[in-house]
Amino acid sequence: MGEKTDVWQGTLALMVLRTLESMGPQHGYGLARRIEQTSGDLLQLNYGTLYPALLKLEQEGFIRSNWGVSDNNRRAKYYELTKAGQRQVKKATAEWEQTTAILARFLTPAQEA
Amino acid sequence: MRKLRALWMRLCGLIAAGQANGDIDAELASHIDMHTEDGIRAGLSPEEARRQALIRLGGMEQTRQAYRERRGLPWLESLLRDLGYGLRRLGKHRGATAMAILSIGLGIGANATIFSMVSRFVLRPAPMGDPTTLLAIQTTHQGDRCCNEFPYPVYADLRDQAQSFSGVAAYNELIPASIGGSGEPERVWGQAVTSNFFSVAQLPMVLGRGFVEGEENAPEIVLGAALWRRRFNADPAIAGKTITLSGHAYTVIGVVSPAFHGAEQVLYTQFWVPLGNAPTLAPNLPKESDRGQHWLQVLARLKPGVTREQAAAELKTLASRFAQSNPATDKGNGFFFEQAGSLPPSVSGDTMLFLAALSAVALLVLAIAGANVANILFAQAAARQRDMAVRLALGATRARLQRQMLTESLLLGLGGGVLGVLLSLWATSALSGIRLPVPVPLDVSIGVGWRVLLYSFALSLVSGVLLGLAPAWAAARPLLANALKGEDALARPGRRFALRNLLVVAQIAMSVVLLCITGLFLRSLQSASTIDIGFRTDNMLMMSVDPSVHGYSPARTANFMIRLQERAAALPGVVSAVATDVAPLSGYGRSDGFRIPGSPDAPSSWVNTTLFMVTPGYFDTLGIPRIAGSDFGSETADGPRVGIVNQAFVEQVLGGRNPIGVQVSGAGVLYQIVGVVGNVKARTLGENTHPVLYRSLKQTVSSDPSSMGYTLLVRTGGSPASIEPAVRRQIYALDRSMAIYNEQTMDEHIRAAYFLPHLAASLFGAFGFIGLVLAAVGLFGVMSYSVSRRTREIGIRMALGAKPGTVERLVLRQGMILTLIAVALGWPAAWMLSKMASSFLYGIQPHDALTFAVVPLFLAAIALVACWIPARRAASVDPMQALRAE
Repeated sequence: MGEKTDVWQGTLALMVLRTLESMGPQHGYGLARRIEQTSGDLLQLNYGTLYPALLKLEQEGFIRSNWGVSDNNRRAKYYELTKAGQRQVKKATAEWEQTTAILARFLTPAQEA
Repeated sequence: MRKLRALWMRLCGLIAAGQANGDIDAELASHIDMHTEDGIRAGLSPEEARRQALIRLGGMEQTRQAYRERRGLPWLESLLRDLGYGLRRLGKHRGATAMAILSIGLGIGANATIFSMVSRFVLRPAPMGDPTTLLAIQTTHQGDRCCNEFPYPVYADLRDQAQSFSGVAAYNELIPASIGGSGEPERVWGQAVTSNFFSVAQLPMVLGRGFVEGEENAPEIVLGAALWRRRFNADPAIAGKTITLSGHAYTVIGVVSPAFHGAEQVLYTQFWVPLGNAPTLAPNLPKESDRGQHWLQVLARLKPGVTREQAAAELKTLASRFAQSNPATDKGNGFFFEQAGSLPPSVSGDTMLFLAALSAVALLVLAIAGANVANILFAQAAARQRDMAVRLALGATRARLQRQMLTESLLLGLGGGVLGVLLSLWATSALSGIRLPVPVPLDVSIGVGWRVLLYSFALSLVSGVLLGLAPAWAAARPLLANALKGEDALARPGRRFALRNLLVVAQIAMSVVLLCITGLFLRSLQSASTIDIGFRTDNMLMMSVDPSVHGYSPARTANFMIRLQERAAALPGVVSAVATDVAPLSGYGRSDGFRIPGSPDAPSSWVNTTLFMVTPGYFDTLGIPRIAGSDFGSETADGPRVGIVNQAFVEQVLGGRNPIGVQVSGAGVLYQIVGVVGNVKARTLGENTHPVLYRSLKQTVSSDPSSMGYTLLVRTGGSPASIEPAVRRQIYALDRSMAIYNEQTMDEHIRAAYFLPHLAASLFGAFGFIGLVLAAVGLFGVMSYSVSRRTREIGIRMALGAKPGTVERLVLRQGMILTLIAVALGWPAAWMLSKMASSFLYGIQPHDALTFAVVPLFLAAIALVACWIPARRAASVDPMQALRAE
């Protein structure tokens, strides 16, 4: 359970941060839909897991939240990146790119062979 | 950093849980609403849209739970819940809780008090710079168990030749002096040190400095902080001022830190003067050139990087070199060292043994207390099995329940620890108030320091965990079916309360051991109080002076004491007055080997004899019977030496021959025996009666002066205390500046001599009493519990015709069988352990028949009472009531 969740939460956190960076302040439902869209609907997100992940990011100081009003005049909690969050996006992106690059080297020859 | 921040936020989340619950609910509601709206827009019916939204969320409650777990710290929350629940439970069962905390508190208090002694006398390093590299060196002599002090030349050779040390300092540990200034003159004790003492010991100073090289003979003085405060009002500008010490002028150069009062941590010395200057204060110190007189303590600082093994090897080499160069004095000598500030080797053995015995007994008390509490907890666990079974049935894990039980017992342990520390605070301050029966200033105060607190905390935790183990095991494994039906779920076939019985047997067995030891010490005190000390103690006043610290020559000192005696004897209300060097039973004295001249000079013919200096009338004044010959009085100061001996001397030195007129020799002096008197206890109560030789004070002071001062003994017609001011005036009439000390009645003096048997008897008595009460309560608890569990069985027995008497006997028999087993186990253990105590017992054997006969009977009687109450309750069971109850 532990390891899978960690990997999943790690990538989910990066998706959330990237989405907030590109879209600006967003509420939980909007974030969930946006992440699905960005993944080309390849990702079937269990929306419930988003909220603990948001809470974790908020506790770590990468995002902050405020109650606001949505486009359809509905009260919703809006999340936005903090300065630390912006730095974290860059750092995590770089790390992730490196990881995928390394993994790619392992996977590519296998395909060639 | 981020982790820390998150942890902090989660801690905050724990506190603001209520508010945040509303927050997440609103957020999730808004999420569902938006999702539902989107669904409707996509053409679903409102119901279907909402259902889809909930499915995609993964369930409201699950999400809320995941969120909650992330918000707070689940393990901390459950711990806090356990604590809260535990506290509530303990609060509800106030009686049992109070009993448990009191039991553990007594046990931990006893341990903390004893440990404060261990901490003070064994663990605490000396308050000197870097104690681990500072060694106290002693000389040894072939065949001796331990150690002696240094002659000056040996010290000087060691200082100059040893390569292992960066510095070697020497000092004489006790120099008396009288200090003038404001108020009445006061006798104080100090040390004479080599000029490098302060740099070798690296002593922190309150102000000024210590001695430096070149000040070996300087009339300079370093004061202890306590003396500086008391006599000089903590004058911050005292450095450079001149003070008067025993009539001589000294320049104060510094004040040493309050923690330091001598390198031996037990002595309480208050000033330091250069060693070369010491003869001014103590004229009879040995000469620095004398290689045969051992009178100096030595401290050595290890060079950085030199190990103790290397130092020991070098000392061994040096010892053999010295033995070759000075065979007359150094042959067979060696060196011995240990870390500075350790107990002096002469007393450390006995002290360690005493402390070890006390620690063992204190742990025994704690074990008995622990068994008691374990029994209480076990009974509670049995009563809670239904509660536990319900929780198990509802899905609680057994580990969760065990954690709950352990939390409760830990709470009890910690509560007991707090009470124990409070008790030991009281006990240590009471023990610190005890005055030891010695003439030199000692600091034996004990307190509750960080080591004691740590020890108590560890003991609380350990006892908390141990106590909780059995109940936790029991509570979390009830037979579910039985428990839910309300039947006994712990009692398995063929195993009725086995663990509880085991506990109570262990408890009583330990009490047998404890009570036997207590009994021995009480008997020892009783036998000590019947010891015939050989002289009368009533209506007698003592007062000591030390003219030598006031610059008196020995001849003037003798003259002073004789005139003082005459003046005191002439006072109204005084029956007689005499002077002596040391009052009997002072805990110390002077001695020499004696023999008849002409007898073969084998070591065995020298009999160790205690020496007293007395003036005429001493024996009549103290009520020591004069058996043969005459008293002193006719001798002249420089005439032939005369002596009066006790009966033990006649038997052991003279072999029973008629002593009058016989000449004996000791330390190179011939004495003609002119009289025989009765035996007295000379130094301590516990000593075997041994030879004593009384010398004439008039003849002896000049050649062999006392370094401990002289004591005036006054026999009064009425209350001795009322004569005291008049005697004091007579001393001041002879010399206004004379410092007076040890003023007390002889009865008070003797009470101090009973210090050890009293201390041992009261400590062990307290422990024994606590243990007995705990064991009795424990047995009572077990029997009561057993009766309450068997109410139905008893009801059936009675319904079938059993008489109340039969039922009573049934319960009594069960209790007494436990007691008998326990006594059978504890008695031999006590028999074996009592040997350990033998060196602290007065006048009784360690296998004292009375103690070992009475204790089991006494304990059995207590056990009978403890069982009798529940037995009566069993007998009064109403069969109808009992059968209807369940």
